[in-house]
Amino acid sequence: MSDAGVQEPHWAAQKERGSFALMKLTALALRHLGRRPMTPVLYLIVLYFFVFGRRARRNIRQYQTYLANWSGRDELRSTTRRVFGQFMAFGESLLDRLDVWHGRLGPAQVELHDPAGVRDQLRQCLHGGRGQILVCTHLGNLDVCRALAEMGEQVPLNVLVHNRHVAHFNQLQSEAGDRQLRLLQVSEMDAALMLDLSQRLDRGEWLAIAGDRVPLNDGRRVNVDFLGHVAPFPQGPWLMAGLLRCPVNLMCCLKIDGRYQIRLEPFLDLPTWERGRREQTIAQWTQRYADRLAQLCLLAPQQWFNFYAYWPSIHQGETDA
Amino acid sequence: MNAPTQTALEQAIAQLIIDTLNLEDLQASDIPPAQPLFGEGLGLDSVDALELALALQKRYGIRVESDAKNAREHFATVANLAAYVASQQGAGDGAH
Repeated sequence: MSDAGVQEPHWAAQKERGSFALMKLTALALRHLGRRPMTPVLYLIVLYFFVFGRRARRNIRQYQTYLANWSGRDELRSTTRRVFGQFMAFGESLLDRLDVWHGRLGPAQVELHDPAGVRDQLRQCLHGGRGQILVCTHLGNLDVCRALAEMGEQVPLNVLVHNRHVAHFNQLQSEAGDRQLRLLQVSEMDAALMLDLSQRLDRGEWLAIAGDRVPLNDGRRVNVDFLGHVAPFPQGPWLMAGLLRCPVNLMCCLKIDGRYQIRLEPFLDLPTWERGRREQTIAQWTQRYADRLAQLCLLAPQQWFNFYAYWPSIHQGETDA
Repeated sequence: MNAPTQTALEQAIAQLIIDTLNLEDLQASDIPPAQPLFGEGLGLDSVDALELALALQKRYGIRVESDAKNAREHFATVANLAAYVASQQGAGDGAH
């Protein structure tokens, strides 16, 4: 969610609009008041973001339009009501996030959709298996995936993040009593990092990385088709997978009919490339990922929580939401 | 540095580069120890460097520093890599 300004800010450069201060406040209020009295407050906060977040409104409208056109599903067509609904879904996901941190939303409340048995492979890592990669998305509620860390029977999960605001979240997280996840701040993929990750995998630890956000300082991106239009996606997760020769699974957590569902599915068994075709291979994987992501969007159309301009072409001059 | 012939370790490292990066049309002797590996020389890129670092770590157990400037120098040529591996291993030409 961003200010109205001339330059389109990169998502990593804008805080999730003061969301740290806000969440800290909300966390305190929740702890003392419980969730019910906070719900009207949440409405007000979301309304504020909705009214003043002109650019975020426009970006969400664009997403909804693309999704409706791409899927041919008329009921998904963008309306002001549906745009507001998406803002509300984000507000709700913040409340759910706090519920997770306070232990009110745990494995028992989460349904696991894992037809291929990815969780079993995760468990095997306690008995000497090599770790794998989980590619996550900002579709749905990433924090609820933390519940998986508990479901996964203490298999260490290293979450790679690009964002300098992570330190804040670390702090907030430990205040909330969550020390299961390890957040690794990654600014650049260098040899030292790759060696570190390689050793973590060999120790049976797992890595989680977002597949749908392009990092600020890393030119490694690839343009693929997403919902019928070209969007930049990060190469990072796929480069990492190929370099570490590590299987990749997709993970997302969608709220469907009021209930969270963690979805795990294998994506690449053994990523390798021919050196001369490395770029093309990575572009193919990324396109396949974007295609899968588009299908997942249809399961929870309003839980796309990328509020920045996802497709680069609409900088100025578009109609407002 | 400019020795015309390869030491055993240099040859082993040249072979490791070839094996790791699937440069099947090359032989170890085709990579002179002083030839730059990146850019104009052999034409490797930064992703190749990462692959190489992982392979070296597996083979020789060396740690690659996070200091990018040093790393770039160690990876500049086969001779530099050999010197670095040797220094990490303690002594001698540690080719196996």
